[in-house]
Amino acid sequence: MSLLTVNAVTSGYGDMEILHGVSIEVGAGEIVTMIGPNGAGKSTLMKTIFGLLTPTAGQITFAEKEITGLSPDLVVRRGMAYVPQVENIFPSLTVNENLEMGAFILTDDFSGQLEEIYQLFPILNDRRKQRVGKMSGGERQMVAMGRALMLDPKLLMLDEPSAALAPNLAVTIFERIVAINASGVAILIVEQNAKESLKVSDRGYVLASGRNRFEDTGENLLANQDVGQLYLGG
Amino acid sequence: MDILSRIPQLLVYGVISGSILSLGGIGVSLIYSIIGFSNFAYGDMMALGAYIALGLFSLFVSWSIPNTPLGPLSFGFGFILAAIFAIGLTAVAVVLIDRILFNRLRNHSSVILMMSSIGGALALRNILQFFWGPQQHYYIERIQIATVIPGLGIRIKPDQVFIILVTIVLVVLVHAFLKYTKMGKAMRATADNNALARVTGINTDRVIVWTWMIGGALAATAGILAGIENKFITPELGWQMLLSIFAAVVLGGIGNPYGAIVGGMVIGITEEVSTAFIPTGYKPAVAFIIMILMLIVKPTGLLGKRR
Repeated sequence: MSLLTVNAVTSGYGDMEILHGVSIEVGAGEIVTMIGPNGAGKSTLMKTIFGLLTPTAGQITFAEKEITGLSPDLVVRRGMAYVPQVENIFPSLTVNENLEMGAFILTDDFSGQLEEIYQLFPILNDRRKQRVGKMSGGERQMVAMGRALMLDPKLLMLDEPSAALAPNLAVTIFERIVAINASGVAILIVEQNAKESLKVSDRGYVLASGRNRFEDTGENLLANQDVGQLYLGG
Repeated sequence: MDILSRIPQLLVYGVISGSILSLGGIGVSLIYSIIGFSNFAYGDMMALGAYIALGLFSLFVSWSIPNTPLGPLSFGFGFILAAIFAIGLTAVAVVLIDRILFNRLRNHSSVILMMSSIGGALALRNILQFFWGPQQHYYIERIQIATVIPGLGIRIKPDQVFIILVTIVLVVLVHAFLKYTKMGKAMRATADNNALARVTGINTDRVIVWTWMIGGALAATAGILAGIENKFITPELGWQMLLSIFAAVVLGGIGNPYGAIVGGMVIGITEEVSTAFIPTGYKPAVAFIIMILMLIVKPTGLLGKRR
């Protein structure tokens, strides 16, 4: 059963069309990675799914309801969360305040969810009162993911979660992604340097010049020589 | 009397005018950081609050609501009641101004919003002038005798102590609101990163309405306090203070409400102390010089950007 279906979506910025009819699917509980060179339209696709950009054609369906063109604050309420690649934290707020903002739309008590996130990222637990702007890149990424998880989403979309992180930190982030997925959250990841990401993924898509290029299981994409040479750096 | 012996007294005057500048500065700073433009209509929003208080006060007097002076103050219950209602009404009026003017331009650049606020300033000031005329209107007609603080030789009026106390209470309230309430945190989050706030599900339109309400309430308070200090108000009241308020905001670090408090005090005190050395007419120039020096030496301001 598919949780997210993107069907022949065309989108872009103003008159500049970036996606020329892209289709992807994410099943409930799956990890799916989307790879492709710079400018392939990966981030554009995420922004379009989340309602930050309005598609000019095609449909987006989430949890059996159409969400094409819905604004971000309504998409959040449907159970989807999004971590942008950059500027994904509130720097002058503390760790705890960042997580609280993730639960802004909730009116009931969310302390249980807060504690779960501190268990998932123990390093944040000791720094609840610290301002995030002063923290390292890896810690910021954890705060950003924690913030997105506060609403216990059905689908978590991560835009380049390991970009600009040291290799050992990237490994930690992917371990956390697997742990989040184990709790039943489907995950869609966009990655430029994607070997680590494909290793943990059920399926993957290769996007190039705004069109679908390949689609297969994570394992097969890693083994595919064409994909390897063209998109995984040999 | 030699110059140095006047300085302690001027410091006190500086703290009084600094209090009013700080309140205005917090409002300008919140609007700048959350809504994203320098609001040139802010001074006239202060005047609007001062005139609404005047109107309500004369209404209350005609209803014979008592206004016998409270203790050593020169005004009583009737005036305080009028001031409280005026603060609330100004908050609502400022939200209306946003819906009529600024909200329609939200998707335009901050320069467009700033230019439109200059238009809003002129419109607002002329509306006040249309109804009340350009002349001075007196809040309080009686003369208050200043108390001399023994030992220091500083003279201060009870009304001036009231101005400082009101400022302290409001600064504490605004701080507590920003620090501990959900809406206050959402305001800081929106100031930090507007796009992320929307992606997170924060209702940024509600955040904007709250920002205008708080900005409007602070403007009205600053305007009324300026009226108490001067004894009278004119439609130009806020516009004349706007340069000093902007200087305070730039000095403290633009977009940082805590910086606006520090900046307001520094500008207020420097302006007053400067009168010991140069003619009083140069006060606004002093604020301007401080602002320019700060922009050259450290454009991020004394407290910089809170990151």
